[in-house]
Amino acid sequence: MVYTPDIMTLKQHPVIFFALLLILSLFSFIFAMLTGSVCIPLQELSNLLSHTASPFYHSLIFDLRLPRAFAAFTAGALLSLAGVLMQVLLRNPLADPYVLGVSGGSALAALLSMLAGLGSFWLTGSAFLGALASIFLVFSFAHSQGGWTISRLLLTGIILASGWGALISFVLVIAPAERIHGMLFWLMGDLSYNRPVLPSFIILLLGLAGSLVISRQLNIMLWGDLQAGSLGVDSRKLRTIIFFLSSLLTAGAISLAGSIGFVGLVIPHLVRLLIGNDHRLLLPASALTGGSLLVIADTMARTILAPQQLPVGVLTALIGVPLFLYLLRRSH
Amino acid sequence: MALALESLTVSVGGKSVCRQLSMSFKPGEFWGIMGINGVGKSTLLQCLMGLRKADSGKVLLDNTPLLTYKPIERARKMGLMLQEYEYNFPCSVMEAVLIGRHPFVHSLQWENNKDKNLARQALQKVALDSFSERSINTLSGGEKRRLNLATLLTQNPEYYLLDEPVNHLDIKAQLDVLTLLQHKFKTRYCGIMVIHDPNLAWRYCDHILLLDNGECISGEAKSILNTENLSRLYQCPVQTLKNQEHTIFIPHKNDLHLTTND
Repeated sequence: MVYTPDIMTLKQHPVIFFALLLILSLFSFIFAMLTGSVCIPLQELSNLLSHTASPFYHSLIFDLRLPRAFAAFTAGALLSLAGVLMQVLLRNPLADPYVLGVSGGSALAALLSMLAGLGSFWLTGSAFLGALASIFLVFSFAHSQGGWTISRLLLTGIILASGWGALISFVLVIAPAERIHGMLFWLMGDLSYNRPVLPSFIILLLGLAGSLVISRQLNIMLWGDLQAGSLGVDSRKLRTIIFFLSSLLTAGAISLAGSIGFVGLVIPHLVRLLIGNDHRLLLPASALTGGSLLVIADTMARTILAPQQLPVGVLTALIGVPLFLYLLRRSH
Repeated sequence: MALALESLTVSVGGKSVCRQLSMSFKPGEFWGIMGINGVGKSTLLQCLMGLRKADSGKVLLDNTPLLTYKPIERARKMGLMLQEYEYNFPCSVMEAVLIGRHPFVHSLQWENNKDKNLARQALQKVALDSFSERSINTLSGGEKRRLNLATLLTQNPEYYLLDEPVNHLDIKAQLDVLTLLQHKFKTRYCGIMVIHDPNLAWRYCDHILLLDNGECISGEAKSILNTENLSRLYQCPVQTLKNQEHTIFIPHKNDLHLTTND
């Protein structure tokens, strides 16, 4: 598929674009802080700053909503960055962070820890380790005969993903009924658990910094290995870096929020449309856009049927599917 | 100062491209590499660029083994225009041309005005200067080919490796591009070009390398390009038409009898 961004106006004004994204990020956090089963008036925000807010609102915002919004922002930014990198690695604008089966390995490990009745810390840890195990499996299988091609990598990832899928189904079948609900939430992507955000946030900062350092090389990789090589880019080394970087970012997101779908596919698409394919702009813009939109989606997920909460993955898919189909139509 | 081959043996898919080839390409020379489809012309160019390993022998860039250069150092001295490019993620024409500056710009820096001026000049040379803000997906095949050349001109290496640079170009654009390159390679630059048309090779290249299933013939263009060599190379009778200025090679099949009206 050939992907043609045709909105070039924002591309000419990156400063305005980033200013708008910062405003969007700020808006998403304010929206998340004020909205929920209990709505907080806007005025309370200024009371919070002057330390005159009621303890109830204070606790609601600082103990519940802000940490959750922060987690959503981190997960959204991680998935979007991972999506951009995976699209470069596979030189395909339809690639997403889960295409190589990282989420499957992670989900299986998370479900097994739920099955064993382990706590939130172990759940996060095992999800992360499951993702890493999956990454190394894909890498070593795809590399087995020296060098790798995109098709071998993709095929290895897809085959492993279907293997993980079968094992996940098996775990769901044998799991006791009272644990199934939590497992399904995790599989669809869920931010309602209070999980430690800091490790994932550190991964986000390091991943963003690392990918920005190689961002011009990413632009050149889009032209193919031979062109990259003739311009002095060691494409084999760079591909390995991109593979591990995007996998690590995905592992950070999954261990924080489960398998949230569509963010890693649609956000890079959307931002490519708006600002083009220069990764020096695309990477930070995708992180900000993905982060903000996941904060907004998660706030809606816990509000629409309040007090009942929806898994945020359901909402991102419900928004993502029509948006993606629309972008696909526009792309020709 | 030269790009030298020392007993270079290259094969692809079990088929020999060259055996024990020793020769050198020097600044001021414009080489044409010719041979039938699949004989390994592009493979040889990739070997010369250090993107593919030879079976044996060495490529020396300015007396130093090519493979000891860091990729980025090599890209400052040598550039390759490929036969085909991938365009899955289009950008503007200017962005595409500016990637030629990659070997010269630090990884944490952006291209400066000098780089942009070089890109503009390159676009001007290939008559694409009015296209700089257009998406590359809106370009025709011939325009894309000129864009690829502009990227290489922006890189501006000492050794230009060109894989069929006039593909998709109309006849005037072919002459324009080859005149531009010929002019460039009269100075301190060296051109090594894969080309199929013996008439263009005769007119623009000063040296020729013929690849014939592992056997290589090289030398000055005017002595190498003759009916005997070309007929053997392409396994097809080639005749010549000559006047005071030009020699024109006309290939024809054995069973075809050309008349003046054909």
